[in-house]
Amino acid sequence: MDDLKHISHWRLLFKVNQIQNWRRLKLAVLSSRLHAFLMGLFVVGYAWLAFELFRKGLQFTSSFPGLGPVLIERMIFLLFAFLFFLLLLSNVIINFTNLFRNRETHFLLTLPVSHQVIYRWKIFESGVLASWAFLFLIAPLVIAYGKTYNASWNFYFVTPVFVGLFVVLPGVFGSWVALFLARWLDRLAFQVAAMFVVILVIVFISSWLQPEVVTDEMLETRVLDVVDRLLARTQFSLFPFLPSYWVSSGLTQWIEGAVMGAFFFGLVLLSHTLFFGYLAATRSGGFFFSSLSAVNSRGRKASLWSFLHNKKSGRSAFEPKFLDRLAKLFWWSKSDSRALIVKDTLTFWRDTTQWGQSLVLLGLLVAYIMNLRYFSHRLTSDFWIDLTSYLNLGACALNLATLTTRFVFPQISLEGKRIWIIGMAPLGMRRTLMTKFLFSTVVSMIVTMALVGASCMMLSVTVGRIIYFTVAIGVMSFTLNALALGLGALYPNFREENPSKIVSGFGGTLCLVLSFLYIVGMVSLMAVTSFWAFGGSSSLVFGIGCLVFLFVSFFLGWMPLRKGIRRMTTLEV
Amino acid sequence: MIEIEGLSKCFGDLTAVNDISLSVPRGEFFVILGPNAAGKTTTIKVMAGLMRPTKGSVHICGYNIELDPLDARKRMAYLPDFPFLYDKLTPSEFFRFTGQLFGMAESDIKNESEYLSDRFSLGEFLSKPIESLSHGTKQRVAIVSALMHAPEVFVLDEPMVGLDPHHARVLKDILRERADQGMTVFVSTHQLSVAEEMADRIGIMNQGRIVAVGSHSELQAANRDSKLESIFLSLTTEADG
Repeated sequence: MDDLKHISHWRLLFKVNQIQNWRRLKLAVLSSRLHAFLMGLFVVGYAWLAFELFRKGLQFTSSFPGLGPVLIERMIFLLFAFLFFLLLLSNVIINFTNLFRNRETHFLLTLPVSHQVIYRWKIFESGVLASWAFLFLIAPLVIAYGKTYNASWNFYFVTPVFVGLFVVLPGVFGSWVALFLARWLDRLAFQVAAMFVVILVIVFISSWLQPEVVTDEMLETRVLDVVDRLLARTQFSLFPFLPSYWVSSGLTQWIEGAVMGAFFFGLVLLSHTLFFGYLAATRSGGFFFSSLSAVNSRGRKASLWSFLHNKKSGRSAFEPKFLDRLAKLFWWSKSDSRALIVKDTLTFWRDTTQWGQSLVLLGLLVAYIMNLRYFSHRLTSDFWIDLTSYLNLGACALNLATLTTRFVFPQISLEGKRIWIIGMAPLGMRRTLMTKFLFSTVVSMIVTMALVGASCMMLSVTVGRIIYFTVAIGVMSFTLNALALGLGALYPNFREENPSKIVSGFGGTLCLVLSFLYIVGMVSLMAVTSFWAFGGSSSLVFGIGCLVFLFVSFFLGWMPLRKGIRRMTTLEV
Repeated sequence: MIEIEGLSKCFGDLTAVNDISLSVPRGEFFVILGPNAAGKTTTIKVMAGLMRPTKGSVHICGYNIELDPLDARKRMAYLPDFPFLYDKLTPSEFFRFTGQLFGMAESDIKNESEYLSDRFSLGEFLSKPIESLSHGTKQRVAIVSALMHAPEVFVLDEPMVGLDPHHARVLKDILRERADQGMTVFVSTHQLSVAEEMADRIGIMNQGRIVAVGSHSELQAANRDSKLESIFLSLTTEADG
């Protein structure tokens, strides 16, 4: 035992996971150079494009005499305020999975590693996972901000320190919220609470974003007053107890050369980070284990929330439930197809992580549509109404593409090692795929066609154009679902059970890139060949535009779906 | 070595383990049997410190698993039915990692992992990523990593799953040797032959309770039956009825 030396468990975990992640990355690069190249291209392309766009935008805004600096400063405060709330949400979701649904956590609990070290390791891991993408997305904006004000070189060194301290706080708070949720809410109670919170947020946003009555005369004579009234809606970002306020104040003061002011806010941030970081790192392990034990001990009918649960047991458990009865209404469809749809719906509903993410996406979309109601009041020229209606179609389609890539693409992979169940059933792979395709297409068509129809009505476009846009998003739903499912069948990953990880593979990336290119291409084509908008083109050009749109949509949807079906029918399970 | 006193574990309104008490002394090979959902895995998970008991306590080598989890876990090893392994590591890296977590000296990690790897014929796999290994080979890797620090108590849940007959024999031999040297072995299994062949004492669980405990011969005498299978079936179906 002469060479026995104590090694910190946290450092050991860090080292082992570092090796794991490095090898994973190396393998990903070696297994598909095209994927790695595309990812690299995307990273560099995004950073460059975003930087250029933000720089131009900020330069344009700063050119308004008197107003520019006020607007830009408020934008920085808003950026970090929203970043704080997004990081908080992201940390809650990732911490919940990482602390309570992770096999490594359960493995470590049986070893002589303290609960505190496990908790410390897991919140560090979750914090990194939750934050890196957000930081990558905002980095070009912060650099562009520095460039706009010709910040000295030290700004670019101080900023990462401020942001590094800042991200610790939502990480710690997010993990505590996750501990609380795990300790006190079971799945059904959480779903009810999440739905309630989303509805509350939508109602709050719709009442908060009331239109401001601004006349032309006011705009000409009392610009500052109008801006003040508009900025009042963003006042929340100046709440001095928000960590985002400290980081924003620190950075804006550094840019202005008020070093002592920046130093003060840096110290406020540092003291809070150290205080809460210390509490999390040294005092939360016991609570973590209590929550984990509660999650592992939770029965199907937890006593606290028993009123929410179905009390059926024994023989009555075999009676048809709500979804089964609902499916029977579609009497013309075959029973095996209905069984597959019921199974997929139940699996989705019971996977809180998947369900929660789709709720957030739909909530954002509803909030966006509600905003359009007020936005349309400001649109007086035809050009802007035309432009907004096409941008609206693009935005809804991009949202749909996010949903299809995130939820439809992994459908086949998620069957995982259970694929033999449907593979061996008389249903067959072809009908399995077609059932999944039709189901996801019908559901997304209902949602997106309703949203596009509603948003077009709020933009006050004519009935003919409402029908045109609604049919267009219907066609896009067909294409995007077929593309996602087809590529999902062509590039399945049966070893992975986490849908986020399945999507981050080559097939998922390809699906997202193709969906994005398709939407940008088709929306541009429709706008250019539009019969009504932007001065209007001839009926012939409009007709050709529609035909090209239909052809590309059919080709891009049907080809991967057909290849996917072929791949699945020859799959050796 | 293992002291279970009045242990109960409830999941909502379901009582999975109902007031069980059991003492397994040093060096004993104890096998717990029971039908599905009898409460074996729940008992083992409480023993391993994965969840708190609703009532009662578990002591490992004199340490309460709830109050002194680190001292208890330093002295034990737990092998679940589907063990977690770091897929991108090689077995030798994984052994080094677990050895360091248990505070083993470098020389001990090397000697123990070499010795046990030889016993389990892992030599050719030591430098291959764990993700490329078969289920049975992964199981052998998990067994070696659990045995490396010479635990005083070894708790195993269905350890024979995935092992070929040769390596199942090796595992049985090692467990017997270690038990003879003083290690307490607590095995949950559905394989009655393992209990018949290996166990010093056998416990039979049903519906959250221990319905019988004793050596093979004691169970035979008490139930006036020579075959463990019929003893098991009579005890578990009687209670069901």
